[in-house]
Amino acid sequence: MFIGTLFRRYPLEIILVILFVGLCFAAPGFFTVNNQLNVLRNITMQGIIAFGMTMVIVSGEIDLSVGSGVAFAGCLTAWITEFLGNLIGLPAAIAIACIIAIVVLFCLGYTTGKIRQVFNVPTFITTLAMLTVLFGAANLITGGFPITSFPYWYNFLGSGTVAGIPFPVFIFAAVFGLVYFLMNYTKFGRSLYAVGGNLEAARLSGINVWRVKCLALGLTGVFTAISGILISSLILSGSASAARGWELDIISAVIIGGTSLFGGKGRIWGTLIGVLFLGIIVNGMTLLNVSEYWQYVVRGGLILGAVLLNQLIERLHED
Amino acid sequence: MTTAITIDGLRKVYGPTVALDGASHRFEAGQVHALVGKNGSGKSTMVKILNGAVQPTNGSVDLFGEPVSFTSPADAMAAGVVTVYQELSLVPYMSVLENVLLGRMPSRKMLGIERIDWAEARRRVEALLDEIGLDLNIDRPVSRYSVGQQQMIEIAKAYSLHPRLLLLDEPTSALAAKEVEMLFALIRRLKERGVTIIYISHRLAELFEIADTAVVLRDGELVGSLDMKTATNQALIDLMFGDEAHAAIDRETTNGLGAPVLEVRGLTREGAFEDIDFTLHSGEVLGIAGMLGAGRTELMRAIFGADPLDRGEIILDGQPIDRPNPHLMTKLGLGYTPENRKEEGLIQFHPIRANLCMAALDRIARGHWIHRRREAPHVDRQVDDLSIKIGHAEHAVSSLSGGNQQKVVIGNWLNIEPKVMFYDEPSRGVDVNAKRQIFQIIRNKAQHGVAALFVSTELEELLDVCDRILVMRDGRLIGELDPLTATIQDLYGASMGTA
Repeated sequence: MFIGTLFRRYPLEIILVILFVGLCFAAPGFFTVNNQLNVLRNITMQGIIAFGMTMVIVSGEIDLSVGSGVAFAGCLTAWITEFLGNLIGLPAAIAIACIIAIVVLFCLGYTTGKIRQVFNVPTFITTLAMLTVLFGAANLITGGFPITSFPYWYNFLGSGTVAGIPFPVFIFAAVFGLVYFLMNYTKFGRSLYAVGGNLEAARLSGINVWRVKCLALGLTGVFTAISGILISSLILSGSASAARGWELDIISAVIIGGTSLFGGKGRIWGTLIGVLFLGIIVNGMTLLNVSEYWQYVVRGGLILGAVLLNQLIERLHED
Repeated sequence: MTTAITIDGLRKVYGPTVALDGASHRFEAGQVHALVGKNGSGKSTMVKILNGAVQPTNGSVDLFGEPVSFTSPADAMAAGVVTVYQELSLVPYMSVLENVLLGRMPSRKMLGIERIDWAEARRRVEALLDEIGLDLNIDRPVSRYSVGQQQMIEIAKAYSLHPRLLLLDEPTSALAAKEVEMLFALIRRLKERGVTIIYISHRLAELFEIADTAVVLRDGELVGSLDMKTATNQALIDLMFGDEAHAAIDRETTNGLGAPVLEVRGLTREGAFEDIDFTLHSGEVLGIAGMLGAGRTELMRAIFGADPLDRGEIILDGQPIDRPNPHLMTKLGLGYTPENRKEEGLIQFHPIRANLCMAALDRIARGHWIHRRREAPHVDRQVDDLSIKIGHAEHAVSSLSGGNQQKVVIGNWLNIEPKVMFYDEPSRGVDVNAKRQIFQIIRNKAQHGVAALFVSTELEELLDVCDRILVMRDGRLIGELDPLTATIQDLYGASMGTA
């Protein structure tokens, strides 16, 4: 019975461990330090955004623009670096460029929330529009060719290591810690759940519902910008074609982690599991030489399977 | 004159409750019959039997001389009995035409395919509206029409089913005075066309205008009928309440009025309420009596800032409030328990703890930080104080009974240590025992200085709980009653507009 309870409480965690152990035996080269670090590095960029997305979805909204947001932030950083580099030197230019990218993406997210508040346009639509607009804007900035304004040392952010661990992993961990703390130990976090759980009840309880939603969207913008900066560092250029289609991977990870698209329900820990899940499966299948097309099929099945599993367990809980 | 319906010994029993106890009456054809009685007198049971929604335990119904026993509303509709409910059943974004013929669009075959015959549909609806004298653009979505006009579209839809008997359930409760006039004109035209109408309303005054007879129910019994040409207010009220006396519960004597905590001057929201003035004193429970649609909920919501206001002044605790909103009012110590606790008061699938700590987040948190350890005392205090029966504070609030859920809604607000509480229908869907407890909570908190505004559709409750009662009708405050001297009859009379 102990195993039953354990499975009911930590279904995804257990499946993840089983998967991990299985891959250790089945996939050649899976359980090596290099490969594990590789998996970690691969999941960080999307994972950082997934944590923000969890807040947005728990608050009852969605952000479809993050993929283009990453590309746009990277291109903006590269462009400002190119523009300012000769005037004030590269280090200062890069610092300013990063700050501007972060601020701009924060404002875009916040504005999305405001548009929802004032004009009652669903964030699904606003961010869908933004997805296209930002992709266009990134291409306008770059003129269709990657901007290679970065010095070589800038590469450290995306692909450097500290004590053998890729640098982005530290940022990933820091963002996880921050969001974990925000969602569980702050007024903002409690409000997020309330607003997503029942907007009217939250409003009538005196919660400033729109500020909460706008902040969640704004913070996701910040994380998107950070991810964009890391990517631009990894490829040492600002490229408009980076991160195409990421939004769906990120939302998938959040959903696999048990967050409800209806809002009000979800845990940041679940999203971490969801991110690891996708990362490990993709890596494992690649090592096993599974065709890329099959990988898509499996990932799709995984999303549906995880949601069905959550529903099933919830039903068991009720009985 | 012919008889439209004869009911004989109609009786309906739900478990131990007798909803209707042997009602017999003959309704003349081609007249408007008002069906009156206070809440729970058996009116809706009678309507439900007539339109086939429920079946009587005993007794018979004859429709134009034919014995009938409907097993479903569709059954009744086929026999010419059509009901228009208080809640509109129109599809907002569809046109008037599509709504009137919803599910009954004329069609014809073209090239072997069944398709809608728009020309025929248009012809039919235009003829129908012409016949009953409604001037509407049939291509316009119904959502663009006012509630009153929508009510008339609903009636037109009912009329298109060629009813012999039309049941109207509180058709005027949401309408403004001018719209009521238009509705009455429509009802009179239907009457001229030979339709028999049974009309249910809480507004006694309008019955004198529209009804030919009034059939009165009290505690499940049909106690009599009056010819409205000769009836008086007093006769009607006497029939409705009999010589029922009201026994007030024991309660502490109030030691005079405290200092004013909430003052409202000239408050107006177009179409909801007008020119409202009142003062609420600390430690006082002030009731607002009124029937459905009188504007009580709208008034409370507007003061709390949940709905917009057009004009007027609000002074809370000596501080003039320019534009109230729930966030601001909560901060200033005003709590509001909404009438629909499921939709507006609680987050059903969230834990009891979270639901108890929603309004008071600002107080419970230290700066921005919050922790379960800080929430726990607030949860425990309300659970103890209000004797909320819970298994565990982390269980979903939906697992609680109605009464305990209501206590959670109240506890959520008591955690802000309010100066003023608005209770909107706190006893709705709550069992008798919990109701007592909730009233006791309201009185106890008042004793400790929390001023309260109390609204309930069960007007008797106001006599039990309140120190003063204001009467609201059609969006205006029309008087004040002292619960120690007023009777239920006074209260209903004033609220329904006969006093």
